[in-house]
Amino acid sequence: MHIVDGALAGPVLAVGAALAAAGVAYGLKKMDYDHLPQVGVLSAAFFVASYIHLPIGFSSVHLILNGLIGLALGWAAFPALLVALILQAVFFGFGGFLVLGVNTFNIALPAVLMYYVCRHGITASSPRIAGIWGAIGGAGAVTLTTLMVAGSLALSGEAFWLAAKATLIAHIPVMVVEGFVTAAAVLLIRQVKPEFLNIPEEWQDA
Amino acid sequence: MLKSLWRIAFVSLLSVNVALAHNVVGGVYAIGTTIEGEAGFSNGDMAQAGTPVLITDAAGQAIAEVLTDEEGFFVFEATQRIDHHFKLDMSSGHVLEMILPAEELPASLPGGTSIASAPSNLTTTASVSGVDTVVLQQMIEQAVAKQVKPLRKELAAYKEKAGLQDLLGGIGYIFGLVGLGIWLRQRKQDKQQDKARASVS
Repeated sequence: MHIVDGALAGPVLAVGAALAAAGVAYGLKKMDYDHLPQVGVLSAAFFVASYIHLPIGFSSVHLILNGLIGLALGWAAFPALLVALILQAVFFGFGGFLVLGVNTFNIALPAVLMYYVCRHGITASSPRIAGIWGAIGGAGAVTLTTLMVAGSLALSGEAFWLAAKATLIAHIPVMVVEGFVTAAAVLLIRQVKPEFLNIPEEWQDA
Repeated sequence: MLKSLWRIAFVSLLSVNVALAHNVVGGVYAIGTTIEGEAGFSNGDMAQAGTPVLITDAAGQAIAEVLTDEEGFFVFEATQRIDHHFKLDMSSGHVLEMILPAEELPASLPGGTSIASAPSNLTTTASVSGVDTVVLQQMIEQAVAKQVKPLRKELAAYKEKAGLQDLLGGIGYIFGLVGLGIWLRQRKQDKQQDKARASVS
């Protein structure tokens, strides 16, 4: 998911950085500072997730968790992911500093979109429906991120469909796993800590 | 000899460029005038067979293009003693750039930017005993390179691997940032409270 330094054209990098900066600024403004510890915990979860590679068949994948982060944080996903991506670049050498903006935008925007798409779904009174929406959020965020990565590459001259197809196919297992993990996380959080997902308490009583 | 060995090992470490989620890894090594290189991903997959490797000089002028074999290896016969830049595009934004500095190539090659018209006859016209030492030196270089290769690979792989320390360090940074944010906010709230209290009294 992380694009490397040197793969993208200058204008793409600049636009990505500007969009990411705007997103982070908006996220910081919208963030409820009572939820700061949550932002930190989810940022840490994203940071660690990319380190843990799950072997699937002949290859290995790692979770991205941007769907879950989006569902839980909304716009605050931008600053949370920026911090995690900086640390990944420093400690693991994933991505790079020039592409930081593009990577942040590509990963955080789908998270925010999924927040708006699935916000109502995951607060549904039926756990089944909530789980399904959670899965949609998890898999959808990964899919969108994949498409945006392919789009960034296409804007820099690579053939879009070729890049998109390659990354999409490679990430199908991630989407499946991510969907399950996000659904499970949504169900668990609904049970033990509904306020974590900004779920009003009433649904339990209703 | 030992010194140059260390230099080779060191430089090949430097030349391992770091990249993607599945990081792109690789290295270039000089064995005599032959430059051997490999490219792959940090999860152990090698670059696809037939990936073009663009070789340029320091100014970016193309010298040659070679293809990788099934195991992500490529070989290039250097004709000049200059910095060689290697660039591979392994698709989907996996770009790997590596540099082989001129010092790693044997001094017998012509240097400079232009394909020099050959001061190489200097070595051939040298005395008969001189030829022996040149050949001997090449043999030693090749033998040592062969011995050191697995070590270099292991070192590169080791360096590439992020350990538990990195992981804990990163988490620590995040928690520290959160703490900082909470502290700043607390301070602001305290100040507001103080102000409110002051205005009341």
